[in-house]
Amino acid sequence: VRATAGERSGPLPIAADDVDLTVDLGRGLVLPNPILVASGTFGYGVEYGDVVDVDRLGGICCKGTTLKPRIGNPTPRVTETPGGMLNSIGLQNPGVDAVIEKYAATWAAWRAPVLVNVAGESVHDYVEVVRRLDGVPGIAGIELNISCPNVGAGGLQFAIDSAAAAEVTAAVRSATDLPLLVKLSPNVSDIRPIARAIADAGADALTAINTLSGIAVAPDRRRPLLGNIYGGLSGPAVKPVALRVVFEAAQAVKIPVIAIGGVTELADVLDFLAVGAVAIQVGTAIFADPTLPVRLVGELADLCGRQGLTSHRDLIGTALPARAGMPSAKGVEYRP
Amino acid sequence: MRLAASELVDSREILPGQWLQSYHAPELAVGSRAGQFIHVRTGDFSGMVLRRPFSLNTTDAATGIVTIHFRVIGRGTEWFTRLRPGDTIDLLGPLGRPFEVDPRSRHLLLVAGGLGMAGVRMLADEAIRAGRQVTLLFGAASAREVYPSTLLPDEVEYVVATDDGSLGHHGFVTELVPMYEGWADQAFACGPAPMLAALARLAAGRRGRLGVAKLGRRRGGGRTDPVGSPAARRKAFLQVSMEQNMGCAVGACLGCVVMSTSGTPQRVCREGPVFAAEEIAWEGAW
Repeated sequence: VRATAGERSGPLPIAADDVDLTVDLGRGLVLPNPILVASGTFGYGVEYGDVVDVDRLGGICCKGTTLKPRIGNPTPRVTETPGGMLNSIGLQNPGVDAVIEKYAATWAAWRAPVLVNVAGESVHDYVEVVRRLDGVPGIAGIELNISCPNVGAGGLQFAIDSAAAAEVTAAVRSATDLPLLVKLSPNVSDIRPIARAIADAGADALTAINTLSGIAVAPDRRRPLLGNIYGGLSGPAVKPVALRVVFEAAQAVKIPVIAIGGVTELADVLDFLAVGAVAIQVGTAIFADPTLPVRLVGELADLCGRQGLTSHRDLIGTALPARAGMPSAKGVEYRP
Repeated sequence: MRLAASELVDSREILPGQWLQSYHAPELAVGSRAGQFIHVRTGDFSGMVLRRPFSLNTTDAATGIVTIHFRVIGRGTEWFTRLRPGDTIDLLGPLGRPFEVDPRSRHLLLVAGGLGMAGVRMLADEAIRAGRQVTLLFGAASAREVYPSTLLPDEVEYVVATDDGSLGHHGFVTELVPMYEGWADQAFACGPAPMLAALARLAAGRRGRLGVAKLGRRRGGGRTDPVGSPAARRKAFLQVSMEQNMGCAVGACLGCVVMSTSGTPQRVCREGPVFAAEEIAWEGAW
């Protein structure tokens, strides 16, 4: 943690309990704190049982959910890579109706809002899934997964084209009044026009980033390792990419940006807040350290308290260029 | 399932590249069953982001000691060998579903291939404590990779096969199975996937070869039990402990699935790792 106002003679410390960590994402969705768990790493919120106190989380993004059940990709589906992992689950899920039937009642009793991650192969798929989720108690919002790199048809194509991204966002927007997050793919040449198109189409917030497309080679070097050949890279290895995308997206749009990518400790949370994120999702790190997200909530409150901050909101955007909306990277940006 | 900070008590290389480590983990030593596993965090978790799953090799409720047996295959397992007694690591467990022995079974046939020993070793202890007879068939590439008999209970009949014939039967361990299939009431196996698939084929044809009439002892009873249920395993002649690359180990990430004959992928960490052999789609899964 860098030296900040708190270590000088500035504001007096505040009790951690008095720090306001809430995040207002609009449409009535107020997260109790800015630490969420990322889709695909926390199942439907029930799997970790007593090991994780879900009610202390800022929010839960459930496993990607589709209209019809999907059996997912061939195995192996996961492998570790330096500082990260590749996964190609292929959106295995029991379908939206089964998800509602099995989990919605449980979610309704939780303090932590549950955002259903929605995936599909066509605009119609997305709209139909969202229609079925609309109005179901226990479902606090939608995270639109237009960027899953691990399914053959559809999926990713919505995330790499501004017009397609806007089309699916607008269609979903008109189908529900639920808070709508849209998850961006880093597998694009410039995120800014896509982010703007999604914001203009009516999204309430952006999530950045989904995994980076990659492959691994089998030990015998006779084939790619993953059953699906391609997988999505996540973990600390992707953090610099996530920081860059959040940095760019936060300046391109006025709606809130929720950061995800390689968070393993409080310093990572502070970095993402500094580049403009209003909240953070923890993903891959949960596998090694299931209690990390809950611990981060406490650590963030403690840090704010020590620095005399009444809210973590004072930490947001401190590393962004002074003039809002300025094309920050112009002239110095990396464009091979 | 719980998280436990556990101290390494003993660490030794029992075979070239194969290690046996004992941890003091009283929370896991009590209540864990043969076939279950633990998920262990490495110290360097920004470099190695995944935990490593290990079968519970033995547990001792009196001393609170659990042991794991592993082969060094990469940076993670290599990291574990550098731990010294007194070092503390973070264990998550017990995880997964155990072997289910039919209460009527007297004669248990255990079949292990290579490091598959780690998956069935604890069942030998449980079975002997329950007064059952155990024959353990073990297959390895050569004599230098044969699990030491001194690490097994005296009551176990231990039969070895080696691929090169340097010890015991010259050939695959699966070739020994027909000699015991009449004696055995149930069989339990862990090892490479081709070995398990071969055993599953043998088990499927066993009734016909033995001329067992479907009278009297009716395992199965006409009902089909759900995949992964204890009843489905208990009624099966052959139970297998499956292996798969694993992420979370609690059922959240769906990384470690195997395809079932019902057409639905089953999580090795949650519905498994122990399955009835007939629950697994051994060929052309996807």
